Amino acid sequence: MAPIAVGDVLPDGTLACFDAEDKLQQVSVHSLAAGKKVIIFGVPGAFTPTCSLKHVPGYIEKAGELKSKGVDEIICISVNDPFVMKAWAKTYPENKDVKFLADGSAKYTHALGLELDLSEKGLGTRSRRFALLVEDLKVKAANVEAAGEFSVSSADDILKAL
Amino acid sequence: MATNILRRAASSVMRETLLTGMLRRSYASVAVGSDIVSAAPGVSLQKARSWDEGVSSKFSTTSVKDIFKGKKVVIFGLPGAYTGVCSQQHVPSYTKNIEKFKAKGIDSVICVAVNDPFVMNAWAEKLQAKDVIEFYGDFDGSFHKSLELGKDLSAALLGPRSERWSAYVVDGKVKAFNVEGAPSDFKVSGAEVILEQI
Repeated sequence: MAPIAVGDVLPDGTLACFDAEDKLQQVSVHSLAAGKKVIIFGVPGAFTPTCSLKHVPGYIEKAGELKSKGVDEIICISVNDPFVMKAWAKTYPENKDVKFLADGSAKYTHALGLELDLSEKGLGTRSRRFALLVEDLKVKAANVEAAGEFSVSSADDILKAL
Repeated sequence: MATNILRRAASSVMRETLLTGMLRRSYASVAVGSDIVSAAPGVSLQKARSWDEGVSSKFSTTSVKDIFKGKKVVIFGLPGAYTGVCSQQHVPSYTKNIEKFKAKGIDSVICVAVNDPFVMNAWAEKLQAKDVIEFYGDFDGSFHKSLELGKDLSAALLGPRSERWSAYVVDGKVKAFNVEGAPSDFKVSGAEVILEQI
């Protein structure tokens, strides 16, 4: 699958998470994004450093500013199971706005054309690091990092697209 | 909640494959007397580690041979880091009995799961178990597949994982081996059971 690009329609897919009542839920991406302005950012792995120490915190800090610019949802996805995503989200007690959704089977990452083989790091198939700005399912910005980089997908970078 | 999903998934699989499951168990490639190293040739596990440790060790892996050869090992496998029974019962059963294992001359007590080594590391720290027992990731499931202990837990949104099991292995030879009837069970794979078998 070719990587998702500006002008594309965001594909639908199913992601998993634990809801406020701690029940396992499957969520359709379109149900979260249709008719709304959403940011979806992808990370290679929960509990890995750039993801944990830079990428996620940037979005948590800038959530207020992003929302004031009309962003309805800020979604973090990773190829991890929902138990791991829930545990990882808990390490950010200050977070109110970023949703942590699990793409455990990498199906959605594959639909976005953003999968990456990190087997030699002991991670298997994961997602590239990326950030998308999507308005009513139309991709307005698609910032995909080269492997190992962190220069176009941060919250500051995506603020420039708003 | 998740354990109910596991139980439902397990019981529907059990209903369909009860007889064949039992037959398959007797042909599983690991049983008392088998050699775990030859059952999993060329397979490696990844020691639980932080990313920095991964970088400085060049993401090295540990071969099954190096884990078991010449050692007395108690190893247990579970469906997933951060899940209910695994976190609340299975790992604690081993960490609180560590002195008993040491008294019996066990060189390593190892927890393994189909998770990446970074998740295993964070989980081990969360359980305050990192300095008590060893944690290894079987990120692509190859270790469990070789031993025919892989299990599809997609119904519980976990994907391909493993059974819940435990084994006592001396110089690569399996001396005791226990597998739960369903991954959500915790009846035969705990520390108390295997301590009696050593």
